[in-house]
Amino acid sequence: MKEQQVSDLLVDYLDGNLDAKEAAMVAKHLEQSPALRAELEETKKLLKAFKEEKTAEPSDRLRSGFYQMLEKEMENDGVRKITSASRPNTFHFLRIAAGIALLFGSFLLGMLWQSNDFESEIASLQTENQEYRQTAMLSLMENGSASRRIQGVSYAEELTALDPEILEALIRRMTEDNNITVRLSALEALSNFTQSEKVKDALIAALETEQDPGMQIQIIQTLVEIQEKKVVSPMQELLESNETEPYVKEHIKSLLPNII
Amino acid sequence: MKKVRLTIIACIIGFIAMAQEDYTRSLNGIQWVKIESNANMKIRTHSKNELLIKANEPYRIPEKAKGLKLVGEGGTDNTDVGFSVLQEGNNLIVKNLQKSEEAEIYLPASQNISVKSKWSGSIYIAGFSGEVEASALLNGGIEIEDVSGPLTANSLNGGIEVSFNTVSQSAPSSISSTNGELDINLPANTPANLTLGTVNGEIYTNFELSVPDKNGLRAVVSRKVKGAINNGGVKIQLSTTNGNIYLRKQ
Repeated sequence: MKEQQVSDLLVDYLDGNLDAKEAAMVAKHLEQSPALRAELEETKKLLKAFKEEKTAEPSDRLRSGFYQMLEKEMENDGVRKITSASRPNTFHFLRIAAGIALLFGSFLLGMLWQSNDFESEIASLQTENQEYRQTAMLSLMENGSASRRIQGVSYAEELTALDPEILEALIRRMTEDNNITVRLSALEALSNFTQSEKVKDALIAALETEQDPGMQIQIIQTLVEIQEKKVVSPMQELLESNETEPYVKEHIKSLLPNII
Repeated sequence: MKKVRLTIIACIIGFIAMAQEDYTRSLNGIQWVKIESNANMKIRTHSKNELLIKANEPYRIPEKAKGLKLVGEGGTDNTDVGFSVLQEGNNLIVKNLQKSEEAEIYLPASQNISVKSKWSGSIYIAGFSGEVEASALLNGGIEIEDVSGPLTANSLNGGIEVSFNTVSQSAPSSISSTNGELDINLPANTPANLTLGTVNGEIYTNFELSVPDKNGLRAVVSRKVKGAINNGGVKIQLSTTNGNIYLRKQ
C-alpha cells in the first residue's frame, strides 16, 4: 500500500471504521513513517476541533422577530384575497374562452400548414418500408438455412409487382438452389407472375436444365396452365431424352394434347 | 500366481484394443452440422454439446485392409468409425464413408442439422428443437419425430413421415416428395397457413381449413388447397407430384 493511500485511510482509522486487516496495515505504516505519524496527529487535532465546535443557535430576539414578520405577512395576504374575489366573473370566463380559441386557431393553422408535408412524409415512410422489405427479402434468399430462404421467397406472394432485382433473385433460387424445397417455393412464387415474358422465359430455361423429375413436372404444369406454346419444344426434348424418368414422360404425354 | 495376473492384464488390454471406441467432437462455434450418407442414418439427441458417432458393432476392417485407411468419395476416415468429419467455417461436415453400414449419431437438441441420404439409405431424426433439413435424394424414406421446426424435408421415391411436437412460428416449414407419400402430424392447436398441393395424388386431412371465400362461393380447388388453421400463423407447405398427402390432427 502506498503512503498516499494510507493517509486517505487515517480518518477512518481514527473513527475505528476499518476492518482488522486494514487497521493492522495502517498501524504498520505508521510505525515506519514519521511523516505519517505527524499527519495522524494533525488529523486528530482537526477531528477534536470539529467535535468541540458548538452548534450555533438563534437568539430569542431573532425568533420573536421572525414570528412577528410572519403574522404581518399573513394579514397582508388576507387583504389581497378579498381584492381578487371582487373582480367580475365574466371577465375571467372571457379570458379562458379567448385562450381556448387561440389554442384551437393555432392548431388548425398548424394542421393546414403541415398537412401537405405530413402526407408526403407518410408516403416516403411507406416506400422506405417497402425498400426495407425488399432488402430483407434479398438477404433472406441468400441465408444458409433453407427455411429462411423459403421465408424470403414467400414474401414475393404478398407483392403485386416484381422489382427487377427481386425477380432476378427469385429466378436464381428456382434454378440454382441446391435444396429442392426452396426451388419449388421459388417456382410457386414466380407462377403468380406468369404474365411477365421474363418469368416465362426463365421457366422454359429452367425446364431445359432441371434434373429433378418433381420440379420438371411442376414447371410443365405451370406453363401448360397458362397455355404457353414455347413449352412444347422442351417438353418434346424431355420425351426423347433417355435421362427422363418414365413417369415424367407419361405426364408429358397426357398434357401435350392440351396445348398443341 | 504372477502368471495368472499377467494373463488377466493381457486379456484386458486386448479387449480394450478390440472394442470400438465411439467418436466424439466438441461443437463449439458450430452453427450447422451437415450429415451425408449412402446408408441408413439415425440422428438422435443427447445432453452434451458434442457430436457422437456410435461405433458400429461390429465395425469390421477387412483382414486385408489392416493398417490401411478407408477412403471414399467423401474423403478419408479420420474418426476410426468409418466417417470423415471436417469443419468448414461454422459448418461441420460429417460424411459416412461406408456404403452399407447403418450409423447412429447423437447431437444436442438445439443443434441445426442438415441430413442428406444420397443412395437408398433412409433417414430417422428425433427430438430436435433447432432447424432440421432432411433430404433423401434417391430411394430412401424419411421419418422425423418430436421436432418443432423450422423443417424442410424432401424425397424422391421414399415416403416422408413427420410428427411435430409444436410448430415453430419463426420461419416456414416445407415438405415435398416426388413419388413418395407425405404423412404429417400436427398438434391440433397449431396456428398455421397451410398450402397443400399435389399433381397426381390425393389430399386427406381432418383439419378444418378455412378456405378464403370469393363472393360467397367456395374457391374451387383442384391441385392446390390453401387455408388457415387456428386463425393462421407460420407458413407450412406440403407438396407431392405422385404421392398422396395425409395431414393429421394430433
